[in-house]
Amino acid sequence: MATVVIMPKQGQSVESCILTELKKKKGDKVAIGDLLFAYETDKASFEEEAKVAGEVLEVFYNEGDEIPVLVNVLVIGEPGESIEGLRPEAGASASVEAVDEKPQEASAPQKETIIPQPQVAYSSTASAVSPRARALADKHAINAASLKGSGPGGRVIADDVEAAVNALPRTTPLAKAMIKEGGLHAPAAGDGLAGMVRSSGLSATVSQPTMTDGDSTVKPLTNMRKLIARSMHASLQNSAQLTHHLGADARRIMELRKVAKANGLNVTINDLVCFAVVRALKQYPQVNAHFEGDSMRLFNHVHLGLAVDTDRGLMVPVVRDADLLSIEGLATRLKEVAEACKSGSISPDLLSPVAASFTVSNLGNYGVEMFTPVINLPQVAILGVNTIVPRPKDLGGGVYAFVPYMGLSLTYDHRALDGGEATRFLKQIAIEIENLNVEL
Amino acid sequence: MPKAQFIDPVKVRAKGEVTFSPIPVNVYSKSVKEELDLKHFTQEDLVRIYRDMVVIREFETMLHAVKTTGGYNGIEYNNPGPAHLSAGQEAAAVGMAYTLTLDDYIFGSHRSHGEILAKGLRSIEQLSDAELDKIMNEFWNGATVHVVKKNFSGSTKELAIRFLLYGALAEIFARETGFNKGLGGSMHTFFTPFGIYPNNAIVGGSGSIAVGAALYKKVNRKKGLVIANLGDASMACGPVWEGLTFAAMDQFTQLWEGDMKGGLPFVLNIMNNQYGMGGQTCGETMGYEVAARIGAGVNPQQMHAERVDGYNPLAVIDAYRRKKELIEKGEGPVLLDVLTYRYSGHSPSDASSYRTKEEMELWEANDCITTFGKELIEAGIAKQDDLDIIWKEIKEAMFDTFKLAIDDELSPRMDLNKNPELLGTMIFSNESIDSFSDATPDVNHPMEENPRVKQIAGKVRFVTDKEGKPVSKMKQYQLRDGIFEALIDRFYKDASLVAYGEENRDWGGAFAVYRGLTEALPYHRLFNSPIAEASIVGTAIGYAMCGGRVVPEIMYCDFLGRCGDEVFNQLPKWQAMSGNLLKMPIVLRVSVGSKYGAQHSQDWTSLVAHIPGLKVVFPVTPYDAKGLMNAALQGSDPVVFFESQRIYEIGEMFHEGGVPEGYYEIPFGEPDVKRAGKDITILTIGATLYRALDAAKELEEKYGMSAEIIDARSLVPFNYEPVLESLKKTGRIVIASDASTRGSFLNDLARNITELGFDYLDAPPVVVGSRNWITPAYELEDAFFPQPSWIIDAIHEKIVPLKGHVPTSNFTDAEQIRRAKAGI
Repeated sequence: MATVVIMPKQGQSVESCILTELKKKKGDKVAIGDLLFAYETDKASFEEEAKVAGEVLEVFYNEGDEIPVLVNVLVIGEPGESIEGLRPEAGASASVEAVDEKPQEASAPQKETIIPQPQVAYSSTASAVSPRARALADKHAINAASLKGSGPGGRVIADDVEAAVNALPRTTPLAKAMIKEGGLHAPAAGDGLAGMVRSSGLSATVSQPTMTDGDSTVKPLTNMRKLIARSMHASLQNSAQLTHHLGADARRIMELRKVAKANGLNVTINDLVCFAVVRALKQYPQVNAHFEGDSMRLFNHVHLGLAVDTDRGLMVPVVRDADLLSIEGLATRLKEVAEACKSGSISPDLLSPVAASFTVSNLGNYGVEMFTPVINLPQVAILGVNTIVPRPKDLGGGVYAFVPYMGLSLTYDHRALDGGEATRFLKQIAIEIENLNVEL
Repeated sequence: MPKAQFIDPVKVRAKGEVTFSPIPVNVYSKSVKEELDLKHFTQEDLVRIYRDMVVIREFETMLHAVKTTGGYNGIEYNNPGPAHLSAGQEAAAVGMAYTLTLDDYIFGSHRSHGEILAKGLRSIEQLSDAELDKIMNEFWNGATVHVVKKNFSGSTKELAIRFLLYGALAEIFARETGFNKGLGGSMHTFFTPFGIYPNNAIVGGSGSIAVGAALYKKVNRKKGLVIANLGDASMACGPVWEGLTFAAMDQFTQLWEGDMKGGLPFVLNIMNNQYGMGGQTCGETMGYEVAARIGAGVNPQQMHAERVDGYNPLAVIDAYRRKKELIEKGEGPVLLDVLTYRYSGHSPSDASSYRTKEEMELWEANDCITTFGKELIEAGIAKQDDLDIIWKEIKEAMFDTFKLAIDDELSPRMDLNKNPELLGTMIFSNESIDSFSDATPDVNHPMEENPRVKQIAGKVRFVTDKEGKPVSKMKQYQLRDGIFEALIDRFYKDASLVAYGEENRDWGGAFAVYRGLTEALPYHRLFNSPIAEASIVGTAIGYAMCGGRVVPEIMYCDFLGRCGDEVFNQLPKWQAMSGNLLKMPIVLRVSVGSKYGAQHSQDWTSLVAHIPGLKVVFPVTPYDAKGLMNAALQGSDPVVFFESQRIYEIGEMFHEGGVPEGYYEIPFGEPDVKRAGKDITILTIGATLYRALDAAKELEEKYGMSAEIIDARSLVPFNYEPVLESLKKTGRIVIASDASTRGSFLNDLARNITELGFDYLDAPPVVVGSRNWITPAYELEDAFFPQPSWIIDAIHEKIVPLKGHVPTSNFTDAEQIRRAKAGI
């Protein structure tokens, strides 16, 4: 019997994946364990192995297709077997819930045959949209279903869409024409008289043509690159970020690192810094938090995000409940998630910016002496860890010596934190680093 | 009610009695030899009578074999269509046809193969070779004769006989080379060049149609008589009786003047085979004992009725010779009860379980062909060998014909795969014809001297005068004036045009549309008919079949039920069933009532719109009424022309400049925007237009909603494009008329608009029709017919809630479901 291979569901929030590479095509023989195809979610890449042997009877998608999870991707079976009925429905919905419910629906016996009595209007529901309203909404790029309907039974009618269109900022004829031509969109409010949107206020949604002498190639962005671009840009646009720099005496953690090494423990400087950060966060709950516009979400535990550089780009996996871990436990978990990122097997749930309560980005290994990391919104701050440099220090009694110092750069969202708080928190990290006391 | 006829109470109340003359029964008693001696026939005539009977017998024997054994002479053929055979009735058919000339027409029933062949053979005998060649070569451009000509080397007359057999048989087998392109079939086939007019699959269907053909001959001064060959059982049908009363109207002899004075040239020929299906008319299903008795109930002449022995061709010929003379003297109509017997059942599926073997054997022992053959031999006219040769030759011709007619290459069927719309192009003839007659129209005075014409000349042709002031009712050019102008114009253009109905003449029609026509037209062009709708429509159909234009009137729409068969089965179908040989230039005026309750106030436009083959219009403004009536009268198709009694007096309020004095036509099928608007479209049929206008006014004033109103004007055909154009603008539509909602044509409009304009719709098209009740008394009508408030309520409930509106009628979904569940 033919076996279907579905697009796996990687994580609760994933609705669809991109098929990045087909490793087997129609007609290929496969053995158990052979790689069938590679795919990626917003942030991670995966590979699907064959769980049965046979021949690939049909592949329903091409490389680059976005495929809803749990939908059939290909079929393995004996040559000549029918694949009828296995083909995914046209426009198969990415609705995870609907797919999950299907078997239940099929098996649920019809127990009651009570004919419902009409109590309310049949023809219209709260979300109903008239065909005309739908067409009008499409024309003006308005989500008709989100409007409050004024038709019978709450049906969204053309009037409602027109009202929504009228509520948009007034636009000059030139700007209107440019929007219609495509490629430009209007801001929520214009910069002209009485909020009028002018052509100069339009922003581009596609790249402007560039001068080219042929010495360039256009490389489309990967899904992940697009996502990073969007979130980083949004972070800088939507928050009030600034960075404080401060140094910490690194002698203590360098000593600890030596001890660990001597004891055969794989605990890095970064692990120790992170451990210190966790301790500082426990004392500054307002930093171990998310800023949600009109409220702050404070976390009971520390979910520590760690920026990891991978071939596919920047990834920030999270170690949940980091405050409950020993130094060894933390070190192990940090390595696990970093490796998972590099191999592409990380769960997308661990990559979500909302999964972490605070993030550490360590560029010390690369010799970076100072930088301004970008906050992973809605987190309120991010710590940049710099390289260790020797710095003169007054050891007392007129004695000066070069001491290794570690640079710390804290970027915080001024909407959530004030300079004093941020400085005190940053100082606390330095104190923890300088006085770290752990069993190794 | 002509003033010329004085009803004197003294006379009509005086004592007396109605007397009857004896009705002759089987009075003919001559032998073949006696007839020969009297030189009533030549020897050749008598042999031909024998031959013609043999042709019919073999034709029916062949079809019987095909139906019951699946083939003929060993060649298999399946004929799924009907075959109502008349073996046994040959003497009656040949006798009926013998005295007829090409000027005489016959109409038939479902069992008329014999009559067609008899009349065809008789016509072939009377026509010269040159005339026959012309007829055959011109018919379907020679397509039919081309098939029989192949490998045939006999004389023109012999060829013509094969042409007749083949044309009829190919028609029965639904071949395109048949007499009616295979669209009529066994029960409808005909061939007018031989004076053979349509048979009719509806029992008694020809009863009124043939009378209309006789009316055509009389009014248009054409020679000849018209025979309706009907079965004895059809004497029970109302429309047959209605046809008889129409045919026997006193006015033909008492009121029609000059050369028009005299009875209709009509013969009701009862082919009395004594059974109707399995019912025995004499003794079981009828009470007349002898069918000829019916004549005594029709007029003082008793329709010159007599029973004739239809088993003896010479007895039938004798009767026709005498009756023809009466008709030529203007003493028609005539009724003949031609007694005969059918050997086969009603149809091949009938096992004749209702009659005994002995009875059938006894009639077969007295077989009309065998008996007549014996008499020919006894009279020394023919030897048995001669008769055997006739049989042999006929059988050969029949076998040849059979083989040709079942050959799919020589006799193809209409190719509806290759030409999927071919039948569609035959439903209407769509011609534009000024006049169906070359004659000068009979009129009483020049049109400008007509009192009504003069009166209208003084009227204002718009609702307001030049100063914009409303015109008084007396000075107002009304809707009825628009219809009148179109009609009188055509009466002066087309000599064939006649109009009749219940109360059409002196009174000027119940609704004064015809006032003034009485003065303009002699009786034979405008007259009162019996109160018999089946005869009014049925005779009009026969009149049109013969080539005349006619305007019958149904006084109240509700009376359409009284002419259901004529309107639903006859009027719409004959153009296509004839293979487009016939045209049907009939404008059936139907007045939709008001104020008169459940049986006088119904809008039944939907019923006729449902039947393919009828054009249906319902103008409600004087401009539209005149223009659409002109178009209807210029055409060649049946038009059901609805008028509303609510608005006969209404003036023109839309057409700029008023109703034109000259001739103009409004094309069928074009809805008209009567009021421009932008927020909602209201499409109306009929007088509901004016209620929609009231609704539009209120919508504008109270809710700031601007309604565009479109008057459908036509139901069939209908152009959706202007409605869709309006819908693109408004996105919303209400469709309204006075017809009861369930099954109304409004739903058809709504369905098509939904499909064609779905993407423009802001709400489903909403139908506002009358309730599914009886029409109540006038004082209660507001609860039944759509009111302006209903239209507003429906908009509020189903399309867009109107701010501050409090509905008074219930257009909720729940109520809609409740009503449907209750069937009301």
